[in-house]
Amino acid sequence: MTAAFAGRRILVTGGAKGIGKAAALRFLAGGAKVACLDMDEVALADVSAAHGVVALKVDVTDTQVTDATVAEAAAQMGGLDGVVNSAGVDLESSLEAMTDAAWERLIAVNLTGPMKVCRAAAPFLKQAGGGTIVNVSSGAGLQPLKFRSAYSASKAGLQMFSKALALELAEAGIRVNVVCPGAVETPLFRSSIAEGEEGRAQLDAVRARYALARIADPDEIAAGIAWLTSADASYVTGVALAVDGGRTFH
Amino acid sequence: MGQTDRFKDKVAIVTGGGDGIGAGIAARLLAEGATVAVLDLDAGPLRAGLAADTAPRLLAVEGDCTDLATLEQFHARVVGELGPVDVLVNNVGQSGRGRSAPFHESSEEVWRFVLEISLFTAMRMSRLIAPAMRERGGRIVNMSSDAAFVGDTGLVDYASAKMGLIGFTRSLARELAPFGVTVNAVAPGAIRTRAHDTMPKEVIDRIKASTPAGIVGEPEDVAAAVAFLASDEARFITGQSLLIDGGRWMI
Repeated sequence: MTAAFAGRRILVTGGAKGIGKAAALRFLAGGAKVACLDMDEVALADVSAAHGVVALKVDVTDTQVTDATVAEAAAQMGGLDGVVNSAGVDLESSLEAMTDAAWERLIAVNLTGPMKVCRAAAPFLKQAGGGTIVNVSSGAGLQPLKFRSAYSASKAGLQMFSKALALELAEAGIRVNVVCPGAVETPLFRSSIAEGEEGRAQLDAVRARYALARIADPDEIAAGIAWLTSADASYVTGVALAVDGGRTFH
Repeated sequence: MGQTDRFKDKVAIVTGGGDGIGAGIAARLLAEGATVAVLDLDAGPLRAGLAADTAPRLLAVEGDCTDLATLEQFHARVVGELGPVDVLVNNVGQSGRGRSAPFHESSEEVWRFVLEISLFTAMRMSRLIAPAMRERGGRIVNMSSDAAFVGDTGLVDYASAKMGLIGFTRSLARELAPFGVTVNAVAPGAIRTRAHDTMPKEVIDRIKASTPAGIVGEPEDVAAAVAFLASDEARFITGQSLLIDGGRWMI
């Protein structure tokens, strides 16, 4: 990596694990100041100790906490000109098994959460004279997955939220884009796979969905996030880039 | 803009790389270390803009991209002189320009030219490259247009060809995925090129007004996207269409 992000100050939610962490490390390698925001305090302590990033606990479903944490991240980095919303949760459920609480929790984290983070961050991005937002959606937001109605809906909603925001924030010099990963080797993905023989069959079925017939490394998704955040993408706004080894053909 | 040597020791072909967006792509790949072969009617504008240290890595061949024999000779020469091709950018393409007309008055001769230069050339060049890429992997990037997505009056033939490239991209991506080859498309909106500069001001103003970013892009903006999709970084992206249009298609 070159110094593609020198002088940039970038906040990453879900930044202590998985795709968010891989993106944070790319920004760091490119010379940015980085703040990782996450629920997981143990993972935050690890990423802070290992990489010297600003590490802050956040619950993106809580408006006050989100406002305060985004402001704290901006204060510690001396401003803010990049946001990545990578925090998200999964939910596999049939319709009849769906509880209101499970549905609402998923929408609160995956859709309302990024809205809260963007709302908290926008004044700082404007203050910086412009910036970038990349929201991590999912291939499931482009093409549905069975028994993931809530997840697919939340991720499709995040895409349209992002596009509407791209329109709204264009004149402030803020670009808003979306990355749609396929299956990625992350703690979130692993939690959806069973043990033993059943798990192996599940993994085979997942791989078979992708033209490249494998599961992605988080850094491969981070490459897409990093590109959309970089000045190389200066004319790109409102796009949903699928980094999915060939499933959605978007 | 973070120049790197991502394409050191790589060989790239850029069809129609003599001017405009294609020249921007060729220059970018050269700047990042690639050896680049270009086929175009006139490579003068590309040569004129090149830094002295990159010029020795350029093989510019002047010829007609719509002629199959020319493509075959070009391909043979590139492989013979530079080695196997790592990156193919199917950039060449054109509208009917001065010969474009409202659909009911349009001529088959112009349709054929537009489809030949914009779609058939990409298919022919890719078929020449595919056997070697099946052996050793590679990257193919096709030049679509946001005209394919948005549609535009007087551009039925062009939009058809450019949407044809999207179907071509998706199908070839599936065929070549098992061999470590990714195939993607970029779809630029209004980009400042010589062709763009000849458009009437009211057309340019109309496009600008419908572009959220409020500006016309530069060839470098498209080149940056092509370079990304052609790089190792994008190895997990295939079959995709990336709009480089300041947000125009989104609305």
